[in-house]
Order: sequence, then structure tokens, then C-alpha cells
Amino acid sequence: MFRVMLYTQWKWSRLIILLGTVAAFALPIISLQGAARADRNPLEAQDLLRTVHSWGTLYPVLAAALGLLVAMAGWAPDHRGRHVHALTLPLPRWRYVLLRCAGGAVLLAIPVAAVLAGALFATATATLPPGLQGYPLALAVHFGLAVALAYAMFFAISAGTARTAGIILGVFGALVVVQIVAGVANLDVDLMSPLQIVVLGSAGPFAIFTGRWMLVDV
Amino acid sequence: MTNVIEIDRLHYRPGKGFALSDLSIHVPAGAIYGFLGPNGSGKTTTIRLVLGLLRPQSGRITVLGDQMPADAPKILARVGYVPEQPHLDPTLTVAELLRFQAAFYPTWDGARAAQLLRQFDLDCERLFGRLSKGQKAKVMILLALAQQGDLLVLDEPTDGLDPVVRRDILAALIEYVSQRGAAIFISSHLVHEIERICDWIAVMDDGRLVTEVPMEQLKNGTKRLRVAGAPATLGPTPFALFAREPDTAAAETWVVGEWKPEMAGYFPGIGAALQEVIDLDLEDGFVELLRSFRAGGSEGSA
Repeated sequence: MFRVMLYTQWKWSRLIILLGTVAAFALPIISLQGAARADRNPLEAQDLLRTVHSWGTLYPVLAAALGLLVAMAGWAPDHRGRHVHALTLPLPRWRYVLLRCAGGAVLLAIPVAAVLAGALFATATATLPPGLQGYPLALAVHFGLAVALAYAMFFAISAGTARTAGIILGVFGALVVVQIVAGVANLDVDLMSPLQIVVLGSAGPFAIFTGRWMLVDV
Repeated sequence: MTNVIEIDRLHYRPGKGFALSDLSIHVPAGAIYGFLGPNGSGKTTTIRLVLGLLRPQSGRITVLGDQMPADAPKILARVGYVPEQPHLDPTLTVAELLRFQAAFYPTWDGARAAQLLRQFDLDCERLFGRLSKGQKAKVMILLALAQQGDLLVLDEPTDGLDPVVRRDILAALIEYVSQRGAAIFISSHLVHEIERICDWIAVMDDGRLVTEVPMEQLKNGTKRLRVAGAPATLGPTPFALFAREPDTAAAETWVVGEWKPEMAGYFPGIGAALQEVIDLDLEDGFVELLRSFRAGGSEGSA
């Protein structure tokens, strides 16, 4: 049962997974291009850290994009068929959802593994300035958790109706509108900063997307 | 188990307008049960309730001896379903759809599926989304039949198909019933199609059940009578009187149901003369039944 579910999800999301895997493998390697190579002078430790940090901002973007696209691809055929096929299969609905969720999660393990492979390759082939160290496993775990969180969130939203997605977007849109109106009216209302702290702060549910995404650090 | 589907005093109201009210239906085991009604009468809603896709506000639905929706997975393992609109993933090939379906049904018959593929002349490697309307209908029927269920629920399965495809599908259904003794619950507004294959019939209108009778009873019992000299007001009649219309100055036309030849003796008793009994086909009977139902029921019956 899981095998056919996984196969269908692979068919729907293979392009996303393949492109995501290439990007996930390439990102750590590109981020360490400034490190010492036989054919050119190495960057100073500070410059290398700055470069790695700059490239690091792409990891959460890639994680969120993969989570979003795989979650959407997993539900799109069911939405197209108005869920009639899924709901007439002889298994409890929670089990069908679990199979779909697990199928996507298994596929997302491929780009996560690609980050690990790319990071191991990059740190193994680069000569790091003294005092710096590679953290390929920590980076891969960080990326894996971010992918898992993004996937879980977008999977839940995609599983719902267009109305549910509309309500979520509507609430967010209303906050933005209130903020803009308050700004135009010179009112001292700041909804975004507290929201940002609650959502992305160290104790927030999406804190995993923030922080340092460093393949190489002190 | 004498009935494969039993619906008892079902009530379902999805919004402010349409409602299924006080619906009771009994589909006997082994029957081909036609579910007739005009568009929007509640046929598809009833089918969705039977399959557990919708939840009723009140009433009881028993399918193959188990309660729906409480026992939905158990019931659905024994039910083949073909919806009105294609519901399968258009990006999968026919072979992939077969493999997908087979994984969920323990009674899946691969040999039967292969035989139906040949019989329906379907290309395994074509995407479902690229098939013609008739081929899509055949794939959906194939999946429902290869599941080897005890009940097939078909929602307008041949609507909009050409006569050749329609005939192929109906032939496969009849063969399935004769081989397995399964029951078929088939909704349609194509009266002639229902007339050809069904042995029971239910008629719906505006969310209510108009009638539920064996096909022969509806076909043979619905007549048009030419009656002369009938009084303006009638007491109870031994048949169901659907309509009464003036014909000529001396005679009028009655449309009746539940008619039997011995009921001709009723007319001398009211001082009238029965001049002619005209057979109606199912379509005429269906139309008269609906007209009478919409006018508020028969004027008198036994």
C-alpha cells in the first residue's frame, strides 16, 4: 500500500525532488568555493565566514520551497478529483493522510541527504583556515528539521480546503493591511515585530529557519 | 442479509435549499436496482451518503450488513464505485491506476482486470487524462469490477457515452452480476437504459422518494385509461390515480398505477364505462409518476 502511494508521489514530485537535490548538493560546495584550493590563494577566515554566511541564507529558502512544493504536489491530484477516489478507498481517512504524509517525507529525505553529501564533500576537499571547523552533520540536521517543519505546515494547509487556505491567508493579509493603514495614519502600531518575535524568535515554532546556517564556523 | 443497502428515515440538508428528507430505500441482494430521477433530484447526494462521503443529519444507512459511516473501510472493501465525473488521477497511466487500486483491495482479481483490459480494448500505457470520455468510463468500470465486490454503486456511468461504449459497459455489468450474484445500484436519468437492465426501480424527485417497486410492477401497472361517464368526485380507487384529464366531451383520460385487469370491475360500480386500456412504456410511466407526485400525490388509491 505504501509502495504504490510512494510511487505516485514520486511521479508527481520527481522534478521538484531532482532539482531540489541538485541545489541541496551544490549549495555547500559553492559556499566553500572561497576556501583554499591547490590552484588559488585561500580567503582569510573572516572573509570565508562572511561568504559561507551569505550562502547560508539560501538553506532555509530551499527548505521552505521543498516543503511547500512537495506538500502541494502530494495533494494536488486529490484536490483535482475532489477527494472522491481517496475517500472511497477501503481504509480509514487518518491512515490515508498518514500514507500521503509519509510518502512526501521519504522523498524529502533525498535532498536532505544531498545536503549532507555535499557538505561532507565540500569540507573534505577544502583546506580551512586555522581556527575554523566544518559542521556538515549539524548543517544537514538543521536543514532536515527545517524541511520537516515546512513540509508539515504546508501539508496540513494543503490537506484542507481552499476555504481553509483562504482563511489563513486572509488573517495574514488583514494583519498586513492593518499595519499599512496604521503606518499611513502615523499611529504607533507595530503588529509585525511582535509577530516576528513570536513566530521566528528563539522560542517560536519557526525558529529553525533563523539562526546561523554555517557549514564552517569557529 | 436480504438487503444490501437499507436506508431508513434518512435526513440530509447540505445548505439552505435542497434537502433529502425522510428517505427510506431497500436494495435487495442480487438485484440490479435502478435509481431514477431528474437532474438535481438527490440521486448523487444519496449515493455519496451510501458511500460515507457525506454524513447524514439523521437516519440510518446499512450497507452489506454494516453501518455507514461508522464501518466505512470495511464496507468500502466490498463495494465498487463509479462516480458521475472521472475521479482518477489524470497523470497516471492505466497500468499505474490498476497497480494503485490493486494494492488497496484484498479481493482484487488481476486476471479479471487483464481480461477486461482486452475486452474494453484499453491501452495500458496511456495516461488516464489522455483517454476519451468513453475510455475513461471503461477504466472506472474495470476498476470497480476487478475489485470483486459484492455491491457496485454506479452514478450515471454511461451518461454522455456513445451507444457502442454504453452497450459494452452494460454487457460487462450484466455478466458480472450473473457470475458473482452481486447487486448493482445504478443511478441514471436515461429511462430506457434502466428499463433494459434493472429488476427494481426507485424514483426520486426533489430529495424525496416517489416510489420503490419491482420493475415489472411499474412497467405493467402503469396504464392510460379512457373512461366515460365518471363522476366528478371519486372515493378510494383500487389503483393509484396519477392524473385525470378531459379527453372528449364524453370521455376522459386517466393515468393510473398498480393496475391489474380485474380492476376493470370498479368502473360499473361508480357508473362509468372503461373504454380502453393503453400500455405506457417506462418513460411515459416515469413522467406521469413525477407529474402526479409534483401535483401532490394521487387522487385516490387502495
